[in-house]
Amino acid sequence: MTDIELRDEGGVPEPVPAAAAPAMLPGEVRPHPSPVQYVVIALILVVITSFEVSLFYLEGTIPNSAIIPLLLVSAALKFGLVAAWYMHLRTDKPIFARFFVLGIVAAVVLFLIVLSSLSVFS
Amino acid sequence: MAVQEAPPRVPPAPPSSPGGEPAHPPTNTGTTNVKLAIWLFLASDCLFFGAFISAYLLYRGRPQTGPTPQQVYSIPFTSVSSFVLLMSSLTMVLALAAIQRGDMRRLRIWLISTALLGSVFIGGQIFEFTNFAHKGLSLDTNLFSSTFFVLTGFHGAHVTIGIIWLMSLWGLATQGRLTQADAEKVEIAGLYWHFVDVVWIVIFTLVYLIPPSK
Repeated sequence: MTDIELRDEGGVPEPVPAAAAPAMLPGEVRPHPSPVQYVVIALILVVITSFEVSLFYLEGTIPNSAIIPLLLVSAALKFGLVAAWYMHLRTDKPIFARFFVLGIVAAVVLFLIVLSSLSVFS
Repeated sequence: MAVQEAPPRVPPAPPSSPGGEPAHPPTNTGTTNVKLAIWLFLASDCLFFGAFISAYLLYRGRPQTGPTPQQVYSIPFTSVSSFVLLMSSLTMVLALAAIQRGDMRRLRIWLISTALLGSVFIGGQIFEFTNFAHKGLSLDTNLFSSTFFVLTGFHGAHVTIGIIWLMSLWGLATQGRLTQADAEKVEIAGLYWHFVDVVWIVIFTLVYLIPPSK
């Protein structure tokens, strides 16, 4: 029996294909980005990486005091883009972001403790 | 950036067992325990890598014998490796988007693409380590080599585990044992995979690109 026959006889209509309605995942508050948005983010990541590598080759032309902050900001930007868009921290429940930030802060604190214990600051 | 109109979404439903009973009881966090667990694991892994990065930075630039980073690094080669790992993160999210749409053919394609890109990255790391060894740099040559090999080696181990995980998911998808209802399994693997990517973003900048202090 075909789909049309089913409908003509008052049967249950075919459900909407799953492809038209992406299922939400546990912890998802807002819809995840679309594939096009994922590709745009990837292009931005490639541009930032190219900028970073070009900065490396400008050593000697530009003072290190300018290169190092630019590299750190670029890395932080890439880190943030991947975490927010690809790991969905901007669309999922805030509890995940809190866990992740807690881990990063703990790592930085650990670094500072190691430095101070080895008298790097004195 | 323009935000595309999202299609209507299906409300979240707890994963169900073959008997139709919810496999996961409701939690007071509003999400599944497995997703909470992977985020806790990633938070603890931040400390793991934080310790190794701290050790590398601490000994960076100290007087030592043997080859120095500037003598052994090949920035063009490592840049290509970084590009490959970044693109693997793209294919990973495309795999997740595919299974959420119920597009199992594309899921298989993107999963195997991610695993292959990860394998290319690992191949590059093996080549780099071998090249360093030929230049006289081994694990116990100096402080730089010890901290460098431990840090990048553990990162490579994480990538290898990720590849095995992705191949397992690809095998399940090929056998038809991974369905749209299992999208969370792909998301969990994806979170792990993106984490090794963000760790590499930090390593690439701090270890390879930042010039040594003079």
